[in-house]
Amino acid sequence: MKIVTRKKVIAISIFLGLLLILVILISITMGSVKVPALRSIRILFQSILGLKGGGDETERAIILSLRLPRAVLAGLVGAGLSVSGATFQALLRNPLADPYILGVSSGAAVGAILAILLGLGTFSFGLPLASFLGALLTILIVFYFGRQDGRIHPNTLLLAGVIIGSFLSALIMFFISVSQKEELHTIIFWLMGDFSFSNARAILIIFPYILLGFLLLYLRSRHLNLILSGEENAVQLGVDVERLKLVSYLSASLITAASVSVCGLIGFVGLIVPHAVRLIFGPDHRLLIPASALVGASFLIASDTVARTLLAPTELPVGVITAAFGGPFFIYLLRTRKAVKTL
Amino acid sequence: MKEQCPDGTEKTICGIQGNADPLSLLRKRESRRDPKKWVPRIKCGAGLPEFTPMKIGAGMTFLSIVTLLWVSISFPSARTFVDEVGREVTFSFPPRRIVSLAPNITETLFSLGLDEEVVGVSIHCNFPEKAKSKPRVGSYINLDFEKITSLKPDLIIATGAGNTRDMVDRLRKLGFPAYVIYPKNFDDILRSILHMGEVVNREKEAREITEQMRKRSQRVIELTKGLPRPKVFIQIGDTPLVTVGKGSFADDLIRLAGGKNIAGKEKEVYPRFGMEEILKRSPEVIVISSMNPKGDYQKILREWNQWETIPAVKYGRIHLIDSDLLDRPSPRIVDGLEELARVLHPERFKK
Repeated sequence: MKIVTRKKVIAISIFLGLLLILVILISITMGSVKVPALRSIRILFQSILGLKGGGDETERAIILSLRLPRAVLAGLVGAGLSVSGATFQALLRNPLADPYILGVSSGAAVGAILAILLGLGTFSFGLPLASFLGALLTILIVFYFGRQDGRIHPNTLLLAGVIIGSFLSALIMFFISVSQKEELHTIIFWLMGDFSFSNARAILIIFPYILLGFLLLYLRSRHLNLILSGEENAVQLGVDVERLKLVSYLSASLITAASVSVCGLIGFVGLIVPHAVRLIFGPDHRLLIPASALVGASFLIASDTVARTLLAPTELPVGVITAAFGGPFFIYLLRTRKAVKTL
Repeated sequence: MKEQCPDGTEKTICGIQGNADPLSLLRKRESRRDPKKWVPRIKCGAGLPEFTPMKIGAGMTFLSIVTLLWVSISFPSARTFVDEVGREVTFSFPPRRIVSLAPNITETLFSLGLDEEVVGVSIHCNFPEKAKSKPRVGSYINLDFEKITSLKPDLIIATGAGNTRDMVDRLRKLGFPAYVIYPKNFDDILRSILHMGEVVNREKEAREITEQMRKRSQRVIELTKGLPRPKVFIQIGDTPLVTVGKGSFADDLIRLAGGKNIAGKEKEVYPRFGMEEILKRSPEVIVISSMNPKGDYQKILREWNQWETIPAVKYGRIHLIDSDLLDRPSPRIVDGLEELARVLHPERFKK
């Protein structure tokens, strides 16, 4: 059993942080257009220093306005989804939980599809806003049904989430069946998850939610550890279980809502990354949460880079890559670490 | 008493076959024996107008013409044509109830003067105005077979670029003759219009229309001959960014209008491009031809204006052309060609 000390957390975080920076640097040198690696990096550093230079206008536009925002956004979403997944796995005490298990993603999808069908995409934020509202509405409904006598019952919540999620999925299929060819393309593209529109504005919008959610959850890591052994035990050990559940569920759902409304449904990240981190670094949330965030960020940036370069100039949906690489890698981890440390 | 008959047999009375009733035989015998009764009672032609051979000939010709006309009008003859995908289609000719399964077919039929004969159109058919009030039978991929049956069409026309083979097979199995056109480039469009003209008995009109189209396209080619070809990007999709590759009509139009399609070497008909590719290929003219009717030109323009390194953005050469004109294989494709040419070479096309 690994003992987690503050020193250990800091050391591992620095290590993973450096790994993340490396992944970002590699990702900006790769793309459908060939820009020499050193030049890309030079452009990046020149712009950090506030200088203009390093390459011609087109190259600078490609690196700074396309690849960099994309990497940052993918990193934020990857971190958010991983932390959210880890939280749901702890709160529901279920290894199959992922950020989408309570139907938040379906709510976001319905919001987005309605926006596309009603033509709200013409407003700058029409689509992400509608999607976010859809997600929020779903969270409220699921919580309304999951809370009884002022207490949140994990099983009831889970059931409510799954049922409402299924209903919303049926609604999605209905919308798909009645939409026209052109709208259909946009809808399906959104549902598969996409980072191609990434820009500074999107980053600024989603950053506060991810940061807030992360902090709220990280500060409760010790309590999350305790709730793993059961709610009665946690109460006896001094944890305000109801408050913990409320704040944690809401934070995790908010992170998920923000992520999905900005880039569509990207699966596998929230499920696999927490498990992989648990297998390598242990289940202590004081380490699990920051580590999941950093590893999730690296993983999604890498997946997105592969998605846009493998069959250039065609872009694959990033969800395809996360599944294709995440699955086998996870199997490898299972085999080399012998047992999945059950929650 | 038997007599010897001219045909060599021995009978009671010659001219009678077998045995007959004796009384009638007797009567006949009487009349045969009596020379006076041999004189025919009715004189040939007595009481009737004289039928000269010429009159008979004229009368018969007239009668046969009338019969043929009557037959062809009330019972149209069936004819067999071979459609553009090589199948034999048999239907009553000329067809008087036609269903069109695609907007380009509807436009062509209306331009051939078949306003009344068209009894059903697809939900995408939006031109001309009259077409919008015709009964709808379905989309490119989903047909209302009951509706089609209730319309009792003589002929259904479908297009290989849009309708599915499965759909056409099912129509045939239900007993409907389905003629499939399959134009793949500008010249094919002219050919398809001529085929459709044959099939609906409007060959003259079809020839006039294609002649007009040929003349106008020739004029465009002449006016743009020798000019440098600007690099063009035609955007037909917003999210994701979709353009036109080799094999699409718009690509052909770019070539004819004196431009160079930056996606012209892509194998897919509608390739998806990332912004990186567009930045690299730096088009000088961007044509927005969004198929999404709710798409907002202003918003798309704003999105393009972020990328000032693209020549088209820098010099404000971003234009909007109705996608129905650029990508629909109908007579209006020439309108699209002329608009495109005007956008690519404005100096040559000043009014």
